[in-house]
Amino acid sequence: MTSSEMSHMQSAVADTTDLRVWDLPVRAMHWLLVIGIGICWWTGLHNELEYHLYSGYAILWIVLMRLYWGLVGSSTARFVNFVRGPKAVLDYASTLHRRDTLHAHGHNALGAVSIVLMVGLVLAVLILGLFAVDVDGLYSGPLSSYVTFKQGRHLAHLHYYWFTILLWVIALHLAAMIFYFIYKRQNLVAPMISGKRRRNAGDTEMEIAPLWRFAIGGVIATAIVWAVSIGFYF
Amino acid sequence: MFALGFRCVAAGMCVAIGLAVLDAAAGPAEVAQIKSRQGKFRDMGGALKAINDELKKRTIDWDNTVAPNAQTIKDRSGYLPNWFPKGSGPESGAKTYALPAIWQNSDDFVTLGKVAQVEAAKLNQVAISKDANALKEEVEAMGKACKACHDSYRSPDYAKQNDD
Repeated sequence: MTSSEMSHMQSAVADTTDLRVWDLPVRAMHWLLVIGIGICWWTGLHNELEYHLYSGYAILWIVLMRLYWGLVGSSTARFVNFVRGPKAVLDYASTLHRRDTLHAHGHNALGAVSIVLMVGLVLAVLILGLFAVDVDGLYSGPLSSYVTFKQGRHLAHLHYYWFTILLWVIALHLAAMIFYFIYKRQNLVAPMISGKRRRNAGDTEMEIAPLWRFAIGGVIATAIVWAVSIGFYF
Repeated sequence: MFALGFRCVAAGMCVAIGLAVLDAAAGPAEVAQIKSRQGKFRDMGGALKAINDELKKRTIDWDNTVAPNAQTIKDRSGYLPNWFPKGSGPESGAKTYALPAIWQNSDDFVTLGKVAQVEAAKLNQVAISKDANALKEEVEAMGKACKACHDSYRSPDYAKQNDD
């Protein structure tokens, strides 16, 4: 076997092995967030505010954990590794029309913008919800005792308004998945389920953060959500 | 091109006039009625919020917060059945989230209104008794009584509008 045949075989083998791109916490947080937002959406529209509150707390926990994991989590989860400046985003955007670009390792520069936008919007909607007052004064947000009825009603409307903006960004996110699947032949959904994708030549392994680190954050996030849920009245 | 623009303007004017007529169709009496009951419901919502706020705190301010707000709810609930005269629904043309079902199932509506009155009276009793556990339970019961009616007889669209 010649050396060129060898290297060809090696690259063929490399192409069929899997590369880990998303760790378990990132995948779990992603899909739990999907379920949580779905429940919040439905319960909000149907005035089932008791369950709306519970699912809101769950989302608060997930978002706090995602922020924490963006600082100390696995390499593809960390903000420093995927949040890029405007030039990198524009450079990436200028290659969008090309079909031969490689699957990014983790978030691509443009995807990072949508991640930051979505996490930011979810956080904004959450904070507004914490102070929101329902028109019946029954199931107001846990921090609503710090605002008047009128202020709380206004915040509830902003809560609703910003949620509709979030829905548009989620729609854009889904449209991007479809675009990558059909136009670029890159399946971005499967790796978010399995954690792996087909390896490209030159891909480096991600660094997986230990789960105990996630557990520590989990305890802290639970304590924060609990404190918020009782309105800081210890 | 000119004809198209003209038609668009004409169509727009027709819609504007139509809306103006529709708005004018709301009689001043009905509009006043609707506005007044919305204000009273808002008072009740605000009062229940104030009581719920106290429940969250370590110490409950019975005299200055719970008692007067429970009284507000009881007073307002007393007039509940009179707030929805025929003609004060969406057919008035005024902005209201009251569903036509109120007048179609008026027996059920009145029954639910009476349940709310009973709970409001109980809430007022508990506010005087100053029993924190009883207050918690009664606020829940009061909430259920309010919600029972709102689920069936109020349009969910109220949540989308920033008008209160």
